[in-house]
Amino acid sequence: MEVLVFSIFNGLLYGMLLFMLASGLTLIFSLMGVLNFAHASFFMLGAYFAYQISGFIGFWPGLVFAPLIVGVIGAAVERYGLRPVHKFGHVAELLFTFGLAFVIEEVVQMIWGKVPVPYDIPETMNVAAFTWRGLDYSAYRLFMLGASVAIFLALFVFIAKTRTGLIIQAALTHPNIVSSLGHDVGKIFMWTFGFGCALAGVAGVIGGNVLGTEPSMAITLGPIVFVVIVIGGLGSLWGALIAALFIGIMDNLSISYDLSLYPVLALFGVEREVEGIMQDLVNLTTAGLAPVLPYLFLVLMLILRPRGLFGTRDV
Amino acid sequence: MNIKAFLAGLTLAIVGGLASMPAATADSIRVGVIEPLSGRVAAVGRDALNSFQFAAELVNSRGGVLGGKKIEVIGLDNAMKAEKTTEQLKKAVDMGLSYIIQGVGSNHALNIIKFVGKHNKRNPGKEILFLNHSAVTTAFTNELCSFWHFRFDANVDMKVAALVTQINRDPSIKKLYMLNQNYAYGKSFQAAARRLLAKRAPQVKVVGDELIVPFGKVQDFTPFIAKIKASGADTILTGNWGADMIRFVKGAVGSGLDAKFYTIYGGLTSSVGGYGTDGKKVNLKQVTEMHQNHPRLPKELVDYSAGYMAKYKDTFYADRQRWLILMLAAAIDKAGTADPIPVARALEGMSFPGPMGAVQMRASDHQMQMPLVVSTLTDKAPDPIFYKGKNFGVAFKTDGVAERKDTSLSTTCKMKRPN
Repeated sequence: MEVLVFSIFNGLLYGMLLFMLASGLTLIFSLMGVLNFAHASFFMLGAYFAYQISGFIGFWPGLVFAPLIVGVIGAAVERYGLRPVHKFGHVAELLFTFGLAFVIEEVVQMIWGKVPVPYDIPETMNVAAFTWRGLDYSAYRLFMLGASVAIFLALFVFIAKTRTGLIIQAALTHPNIVSSLGHDVGKIFMWTFGFGCALAGVAGVIGGNVLGTEPSMAITLGPIVFVVIVIGGLGSLWGALIAALFIGIMDNLSISYDLSLYPVLALFGVEREVEGIMQDLVNLTTAGLAPVLPYLFLVLMLILRPRGLFGTRDV
Repeated sequence: MNIKAFLAGLTLAIVGGLASMPAATADSIRVGVIEPLSGRVAAVGRDALNSFQFAAELVNSRGGVLGGKKIEVIGLDNAMKAEKTTEQLKKAVDMGLSYIIQGVGSNHALNIIKFVGKHNKRNPGKEILFLNHSAVTTAFTNELCSFWHFRFDANVDMKVAALVTQINRDPSIKKLYMLNQNYAYGKSFQAAARRLLAKRAPQVKVVGDELIVPFGKVQDFTPFIAKIKASGADTILTGNWGADMIRFVKGAVGSGLDAKFYTIYGGLTSSVGGYGTDGKKVNLKQVTEMHQNHPRLPKELVDYSAGYMAKYKDTFYADRQRWLILMLAAAIDKAGTADPIPVARALEGMSFPGPMGAVQMRASDHQMQMPLVVSTLTDKAPDPIFYKGKNFGVAFKTDGVAERKDTSLSTTCKMKRPN
């Protein structure tokens, strides 16, 4: 029982980090209908900027300035890159962001090199807040949890309750009416995209020092973020939250309990020391499968319920 | 066209341009180095190329080989892609190269072994030798062994043997946890560790043995750390490298896991750079043929390292690239010709004064036999690691040396030799 609670808690910590990343992506999608393939690249930029800034003036200024810079870059990308291709439809936008991801990776390698950079957790927060089952939980991990919860609440209030949020939502479905009401729809899209990228930047600042800051971090993290927003339902903030937590907790449970397929196979008379392809099946455990399980759920979700858990339209 | 493709094309163009320059005269012996010089792992390939060029400069400054011929090292970029490796091999044939060096990625090495085997059978008199500096898959000198392949690095089994030898010397090690990457290399590490632990350190209890999905797919190592903690392990034995190593170490340090890491690749410069300040807190060991803080390094090697540092602003990390070039030069002089078959025969059984004692190219399987050193990462070592002029503030300190008798393993190689 304690293992269960323990795994759920660890899954919560990891899941909230995933949510922080996915929130910006799902926000951009829900407001603009753009599936931003370069989202994880903005996450990476956030981590690298934070590394650079924290080297000069410390972690906290980095937490403020790095997302700001990422947000401005994001806004510029929308204004000068995405908008011209917008008129060619969503496929063109998709391809644009896809190419952008490679460009950003190459630029990052040119500036900071191809080997990982030593971006560290601030020393003041790298102390154990509490210890559970022999594992230390640093103050920083609790800060990560707090920050991601705060982001969720702030986003929720911003989109659903504020005037700006309502205008943004209206601009997506009825841009002409919003425009004739005197709002600059182009500007709304630009800043929404920038804001979504800034959210990825925040996740980069907070997560980059835990996951390691290196040029391939965007490529390895990108797919899982897409899984989160597809399972949760494209454009749904609640869905992203639930899906991120689900993936985080499932990851931890499958590693902690580490179930094997062997007992099932044994019923059919398969030996432990079997040769060939069966050997891989016998040795298959949920721990070994853990990073692949989310993709299995992605496939199942697309087959059974293409709109995701909380989505309003099909993928 | 994205920037990556553009850069790859540009590099190809430059390398191609260099290769066709008139510098390649009859007075030089040209050696092709097929490594990633562009793309994501280009840093590794470029560092290796630097090492070979630096070693060749030494040979040339001493008057070259065969009474005045220079050794010329030519970089051939494979961008870490299988089809490019084949492309560069064909180009090497067109250029008339007799010597190919490669080491980054065992899949590429296997590609080269097969290519060279086929080529040499069909083109007698135009043979190519493959000098492998770092591809460690043990099978290359066992069931896949070839007369045309020479490995100047220790293979996985030898490195694991050295680690297990050192584990056996530490009486505080009682419970050991193995965690490896689920692909060919990780599985061969696992198999070698199971076999050698049972034989050489039977007092150590293996309390965990698992495989993870490799290459950075595991983002969060906390659940694995929790399992290791629950198992009561005091030591971790892992073949992980890259992001799988960095995140493992960061996760362990972040959770306050107090266990020793015994690794093959935990000390790669790129990994040490990624640990950040966690590198000062983790109790991490690596196995290598040398490290710069070992107390009794030969004077010649110390001077050589200093020269390398002065030129590239990098700590001299591995000695095998140096001894590969110096042994090749010695073999050419001994054979009295640069023709590959006599040179190959001269390399067989050749000894060389390595950093930890004599190393020798075993004739039966073309696997270099060598002592290996196990060392611990510390911020108290006198000479810290530098990379591109940057001081990491940490370096390695010797725990113990596994002698040649400890790392030497039997081979299943049945080599076919040319008549």
